[in-house]
This record gives sequence, C-alpha cells and structure tokens, in this order.
Amino acid sequence: MSDDTGGRPIIFLVAWREIRIRLRSRVFTGGTVAMVVLIAVGIGAATLLLGKTTSVRVGFDSATQALEQTFTASANALGAEITVSDIADDGAGRAQVTAGTLDVLVTGSPTAPVAVVKATVPTLVETALNSAVVDARLIAAGLQPGAVASAVGGAHLQVDALQPASTGRTPTQISALVVGIALYIALGLYGTFVAQGVVEEKATRIIEILLATVPPSRLLAGKIIGIGLVGLLQLSIIATVALVGVTLTHVVSIPTFTLVAILGYLMWFMLGFLLYATAYAAVAATVSRQEEVQGAIAPIQIFLILSYVLVIATLSNPSGPLATVASLLPPFAPTLMAVRMAGSDVPPWQVGLAVGLILVSIGGLIQLAGRMYSNSILRLGAPVRLLDAIRGK
Amino acid sequence: MIGQVASGKRALEIDNISKRYGDVVALDKLSLDVASGEVFGFVGRNGAGKTTAMRIVLGVLDGDEGEVRFAGTPLTLEVRRRIGYMPEERGLYPKMPLGEQLAYLAELHGMSPVAAGAAAQTWLERFGLGERAKDDVQRLSMGNQQRVQLAAALVFDPIMLVLDEPFSSLDPVAVDVMSAVLRERADAGLPVIFSSHELELVERICDRIAIVNRGKVVAHGTVAELRTGAAERRLVDVPNAAAGWGEDIPGTTFVSRDGHGLLFEIDPGTDDQALLHAALATGPVREFHRVQPSLGDIFRTVLQEDAPPTVQQEDAS
Repeated sequence: MSDDTGGRPIIFLVAWREIRIRLRSRVFTGGTVAMVVLIAVGIGAATLLLGKTTSVRVGFDSATQALEQTFTASANALGAEITVSDIADDGAGRAQVTAGTLDVLVTGSPTAPVAVVKATVPTLVETALNSAVVDARLIAAGLQPGAVASAVGGAHLQVDALQPASTGRTPTQISALVVGIALYIALGLYGTFVAQGVVEEKATRIIEILLATVPPSRLLAGKIIGIGLVGLLQLSIIATVALVGVTLTHVVSIPTFTLVAILGYLMWFMLGFLLYATAYAAVAATVSRQEEVQGAIAPIQIFLILSYVLVIATLSNPSGPLATVASLLPPFAPTLMAVRMAGSDVPPWQVGLAVGLILVSIGGLIQLAGRMYSNSILRLGAPVRLLDAIRGK
Repeated sequence: MIGQVASGKRALEIDNISKRYGDVVALDKLSLDVASGEVFGFVGRNGAGKTTAMRIVLGVLDGDEGEVRFAGTPLTLEVRRRIGYMPEERGLYPKMPLGEQLAYLAELHGMSPVAAGAAAQTWLERFGLGERAKDDVQRLSMGNQQRVQLAAALVFDPIMLVLDEPFSSLDPVAVDVMSAVLRERADAGLPVIFSSHELELVERICDRIAIVNRGKVVAHGTVAELRTGAAERRLVDVPNAAAGWGEDIPGTTFVSRDGHGLLFEIDPGTDDQALLHAALATGPVREFHRVQPSLGDIFRTVLQEDAPPTVQQEDAS
C-alpha cells in the first residue's frame, strides 16, 4: 500500500493522535469523573428514596400472637418485607418502639388490635394487619375465611376507562429515558468534537501541511474513528459504573442495565456517531472559524433534537406506530431504537432493519461528506456554500 | 525509497501547468525547473500565481493541465510525501507539545515512530528548543513558533524543500537562521525553492530566480543573467546643478533623484561620456559611477514590459 508509514496506515496515525490528545484533555477526564460521580450519587439517592432494602420489624405481644401467622402470610403475599418477633408484653414492646429497635408493636386483642408505632404504620403492613384482623373476626363469628373469600371474590366492579389517567412513569420507562438522554448527549457532544476538530485544522492552517502528505478522505476517516473510539471509551466507563452500581444495590431490577443491553446501546452510539459525525464534519469543513461551527452544524442538529423529542413523545407507548416507524429511520434510530430496546421487547426484524438502513445511510453519507470535505477544506475565509461544496465549484 | 538527484541535475520540473478559478486564470502554462543543490527564488506580485504553483507541486491542489516531474518522472504521492513544505499560511496544532507534534508530522511523512521521535528532538535542539519539547506550541513566542514551523518541513529528512514566503514576518535573527538552513540543505544536495517579496534577500541567497507575472514565468535565470540586457545606469552627484538639470542630455534617460544624486539610464549603443561632460559643466562632480540594477529594478522593469493592455486585478494567489 502506498499510504503505509513504517507499516502503519495513515488513518491509524491520525486516529491515534486524536485519541492521545483527547484522553489527555480536561474535557475527557473532568467529564468522565463528573459523570461517574453523578451516576454514583443518582444510584445512592435512588436507593435511599425507594428505601426498600430494610424490612419492617413487627412485634406481637402475648395477647395478639394469634394474628402472627395470617399477618405473615398476607404480608408476604403483598410483597412487604417484614421481620416478625414475639414480645413479652405491651410495656416491653412500647419501650422497644421508643428505642427504635422495633417498628410496629401489635398489642390489644386479635379482633381489636392496636398498632403502636413511632409515627406511621407502613401501608403494606397496615393492609396485611387489617386482613389478619378480618380473618380473626370471621373465625370468631364462626365463619371460614377461605369460604368467605371465594364467595365475595369477583364481586368487584369492572372499570372500563376511556381516558386512563396518567399513572406516572414506571421504573422501566425512567431507565429507558436515561438511556435516551445519555445517547442524545453523547451523540451531540462527540459529533460537535468532530466538527470542532475539522475547523481547528482549518483555523490553525495546519490543514495545508497535512494535506501535502495525507489524502483528505483518510484525514477525515482517521479523525472520526479516533474521536469515536474516545467517545465509546467514555460511554463504556460510565456504563460500567452504572452496571456495577445497579447490580450492587438492586435499585432497578429490570433488564435495562444488563451487559447485553448495554452492549446494544454502545452499538447504537457507534452507528449514530458515524452518521452524525460524518455529517457534522462535512458541514464544518465549509467554515473557517470556531465561531461559525454552531451555525454550520445547526441544520443537522435539528435531526438530533427531533430524535430526542420523539424519545419523550413515545416513551409511554414504545411499540406504537409513531415509535415503530420513527425508530427505523436512520436519523432517529440511534436514540429511539435504543430507548425502545431499553423499555420494551422490540421484534428482532425491526432492529435488523434499522441497523441495515443506518449502515446504508452511513455508506452514502461518507461518500458525500468526503467530497464536501475535500472541496471545502482548503477554502479559507467566507463559508463555502453547501451546493458548491458538493459540486466542487 | 526515493533517493536524491545528483547535484546540479534537473530535479524538479514544472511543465506547462495551468489552473483556472472560474474566469480567473491563476496559472497560464507556467514552466520552470530547479536543479538539485540549488536555491531557487520565486518572485512576483501578490496574486501572480506563486502559491497556486507550489500547491500544485505538493498535490494539495490539482492543476487543470500540465505536469510536475521529479527526477524525470511524474510526481507520485510517495514522492510528494518526501517534500518539505511550508505553506504561506503557517499552521501547527496550538495545543500539542512541540516534540510530539514534530514526531507526528515525521510519521505522517513516512518515518518509523522511533526515527520520528529522534528526528524531532534533533531538530528542536538544533533550533535551541530541546528543553521545551513538552511545551504546547501555543506557549512559544512567535519567533520560536516559526522555528518549529521550519523544523516541521525538515524533520522527516525531505528530498526537496518548497517554502512559500518563508521569510515573511521573521525577525532579523530568524532571517539569518532561515537563510543558513536553506543554503545548508541546498549544499546537502536538495533542490530548494521558495517564494518571497523580500527582493534583496532573494538576490543575496538565490542561485537562480524566476519572476512570475499573471500566471507565467516572465523572466528566469541567475541575477547576473537577468541583468544582461538591462540598461546601463549611472549615478551622478552634482551639487551645483540647477533644478531640472539632466532631463535632456542626449543618449541618456533621467530615472530618479535620491539622497545620493541623480540616476540615469544610458541608452543602448551610446557611451556615458556625454553625461560626464554635462555633469562637469555644472561645476564639481562628487560622484560618477556605474550602478548595477538591483533585483527590484529588474523586477519592476520586467513587470512593466509584461503589463497588460488594460488594468486587470487578479484575486487568485
């Protein structure tokens, strides 16, 4: 090959420079540390707020021990985590509640118990206790609780809501949203890095020295690959922290943050990055100063922002027609398909189709961008018109 | 491996290259050749086509027609990558350490990583910047940045140097460093071609010169060769001469008056004795001597002769 430099292709040299320079930059180290801290704080806060890791300690004194069995069964059925203990008498139990070694003391009688607490009775514990008391009273009245239950079962009203009230977001939706926001930010950020890198070489005029020895297409490819790998590394670090944190704390027990799922999100980052970074590079090459970068990339940024809007709009209905169609379209697939995969089961053919479409788009865009880049990169001064950049006039 | 061309042999040949930007003709069948071991000066007004020609040699731009050859064969990417180039618009990565940056450029030009690192250090030390190899370029003074820029063109052991305005905005010390390096590289057998507006400097350090105007070479050769054919000049210092004296002396043309005296051109085929007699007639003559036309004089004369019938503004450079 004619472009080998001591056995190493030029693209590799260009990419390796980008990686070295960017890994050393404060933007990378500071940004990574900040994101890791943010995730650690987020997981910690979620753990504290959800507060489901400690069980409620419920004590029964000698008078109410008859309730213990039905209460435990009922509480377990409701999913409440409880620890049940026997307390010698009412006085000792109250002392323990005051001291904070017991959460709920059940005293009084089985048919008219009193729950002694510091402030409030946890909802699930109260429901389970009420259920136990109902059973005790049924037995006291000579009825079989099981027979009564089957007799009244099915006697509830069926509700057919035409406009269901918003029930708030489920943990799965929130996790999917986090994935969408992370991808949206990463694509915008690293795409902008590529645009700034292209203009940096133009603005500092080093581009002419480079082009005397590097063909423009390889310079562009090396830059995109190098910056993309740095982005992938940063996202991987952040994802690893999230994965480890979630695994350790069990704060989200849903398949949003498994290793396979995370690899899927990283794949969507790479695809989205190749698409957006290539487009960003092509338009950035038409301007000569960093101040003009934002204006140049704005028309492409609109697609990225639109993809974020679609993520929000389809979050509660990830399998609806809007989400399905939009997630197949290349500009929106990287965020939207990843979010759908995080929040629901997506048919494999849809994922395959989205990947295929975006790969074809990337291929076409690389041709176009390479052309625009080569035609614009040496033209300093006033921005090059996009049509001129494409036609080369 | 691309070797050097034996000293004195034609190394670089630019053969009838043309380039148009829309309706603007930047190069119009420009031809010249540079021998190895030769410092070649490329002079012309802004927009004459010097930068375009150099960019085409480097392959940064494609010419519309014509051919550039090195050692008799058309330039390939492989050969172009061994040309040391300093563009008119200087540029380095501001936020990259000098040593690393030079080594990177050396690797891009085909050196192995180890050789590139060593060459970078060698050239930094040569320019007195060895201690600052780890500093970012943006922390250097302007003069030192220019030294690094020159090192960037030399670091990969080039087989030819093409420098676009290497002397522009250099301080006098840097001018001396640059001149010395160019001569040293030429003595080492490289063809060295550079453009400049500093005509005195070009006259002093170039072996041969090409004057470019409107995309064409209008004169080329050694300074002595360019002088042949130029009119003979005499400087006359006649303190007692009346104002307006000398404007109608037969066989001469009055050129200018400066602090030293009056400058005349002797018409071809006449001698200067009529001028001397006329001078003596005014009283004492303090000075009467032959003046070699400077490169600047030759340049102005050549451009006048090549002046287009109508004034034309060229934007391309």
